[in-house]
Amino acid sequence: MTVYNLYIFDRNGICLHYSEWNRKKQAGISKEEEFKLMYGMLFSIRSFVSKMSPLDMKDGFVSFQTSRYKLHYYETPTGIKVVMNTDLGVPNCRDVLHQIYSTVYVECIVKNPLCELGGTLQSELFSSRLDSFIRALPFFSVRAA
Amino acid sequence: MSRQSNRTTDNKKMNSELFTLTYGALVTQLCKDYENGEEVNKQLDKMGYNIGVRLIEDFLARSSVGRCHDFRETADVIAKVAFKMYLGITPSVTNWSPAGDEFSLILESNPLVDFVELPDNHNTLIYSNLLCGALRGALEMVQMAVDVRFAQDTLRGDNVTEIRMKFIKRIEENLPADFAQHIRIGS
Amino acid sequence: MAIFSVYVVNKAGGLIYQYDNYVPRTEVEKTFSFPLDIVLKIHDEKVLVSFGQRDGIRVGHAVLSINGVDVNGKYTAEGKEIVEYLKDPANYPVSIRFGRARLTSNEKLMLASMFHSLFAIGSQLSPEVGSSGIEMLETDVFKLHCFQTLTGIKFIILADPRQTGVDALLRKIYEIYSDFALKNPFYSLEMPIRCELFDQNLKSALEVAEKAGTFGTGS
Repeated sequence: MTVYNLYIFDRNGICLHYSEWNRKKQAGISKEEEFKLMYGMLFSIRSFVSKMSPLDMKDGFVSFQTSRYKLHYYETPTGIKVVMNTDLGVPNCRDVLHQIYSTVYVECIVKNPLCELGGTLQSELFSSRLDSFIRALPFFSVRAA
Repeated sequence: MSRQSNRTTDNKKMNSELFTLTYGALVTQLCKDYENGEEVNKQLDKMGYNIGVRLIEDFLARSSVGRCHDFRETADVIAKVAFKMYLGITPSVTNWSPAGDEFSLILESNPLVDFVELPDNHNTLIYSNLLCGALRGALEMVQMAVDVRFAQDTLRGDNVTEIRMKFIKRIEENLPADFAQHIRIGS
Repeated sequence: MAIFSVYVVNKAGGLIYQYDNYVPRTEVEKTFSFPLDIVLKIHDEKVLVSFGQRDGIRVGHAVLSINGVDVNGKYTAEGKEIVEYLKDPANYPVSIRFGRARLTSNEKLMLASMFHSLFAIGSQLSPEVGSSGIEMLETDVFKLHCFQTLTGIKFIILADPRQTGVDALLRKIYEIYSDFALKNPFYSLEMPIRCELFDQNLKSALEVAEKAGTFGTGS
């Protein structure tokens, strides 16, 4: 079981952070284009899901999976979107994504007045805390190449 | 290994008098810098706004409150959860407008103004205007445009401190324009 | 009743078949006095609740009828603009029915085409080699399952998240398609499927799957 990569977006679609651990395939486009495509896809999925749903939803879109990976999604009321790609063995982990928001993002970024919001996060503390957090997850293991 | 600190109780308690003194020093310095009461109010509002847009994330991280779907819910959360969490007081929610889009928060006590007396030549100053900016900034981040002002202030001789909040509109989240070229999907 | 609907999408992303097996209706009718404390907005030619959820009326619900008469998009049955009508105190008290808006056929066509694109993007953004497109999409109230054949046709089922056996059902629908659509000489490929036998067999397959798959959800 493993975590491939993770994106964090703000409500304007700006990618605040991206990390990868075990990614085997790149998208074939520049990172900037990839972030835009990912955000556009998620925004469209949310719109799609709200129209298609036969019942009233509370949390909305939670995850999707393909034959090779699973994308987990969590969004805060402020529009911060945490997106994590894992392999198929990982069950829904909304609470893990919420923890990334509350213990890493809020602690390192929001509470640091020198960290500007609305752009790529430059904080070393944030990157290293996030990295340790992910590596400590029970479903994270570095696969042999 | 992430440190799991106990988030329900703040183990770094700060002396509230230090907080009151800090805020007071801030306001008096602004008065010296700007001289005009209206200008100081504007600055306090701006500062409050900048605090509000960050504080909301801490609030969401610490409380398990989800999105509010109704202004009454918003009012309750602000009075019973947010004010309690950050200022240690629980204002009461009253004076609802018939359309349900305006209400008042009545504060029995205000930690910002302990020991404060407004001198006569500062009668346009809204001493606690930081609170208005903070509420406005925080709600804007959860897609609500609101107008917040002080209707009554014990510092100006009223019996209670009353903050009036008015709902203006919902801010819709839109896909930024340059995404259209990256995905050929209708909304 | 845990299988909500079935969609079949052709290679180009066009919707060629759609069947709603069970669409739960949550509607609320209430009488209101002036002023209305629910915030409304116009979206896609419908009047929706933007804010002010209570008593079963949820954000996202549409205005379905006024004083017992069904509305026509954003206009009342008499042709007046709903938003203007509700701003006039003379029209109160008024009885309004709110609920989830039914999808029109045009909307379903558009959503099918949207999913067709999302399916492909899911594959493009894969961090692993050899990924398919989106095969399963989950929300807190429904799960969307998608099976894409090697020929590019997609069979899509929306079901309750606890419904089991959906993958087998998708394969069964593929079989039904290859029998009653493809083997029908009067059916043109990639075009909308209008074959009685296809309908009938699909409905029976859904019944069988529902009976086998649900476990005591009060049905």
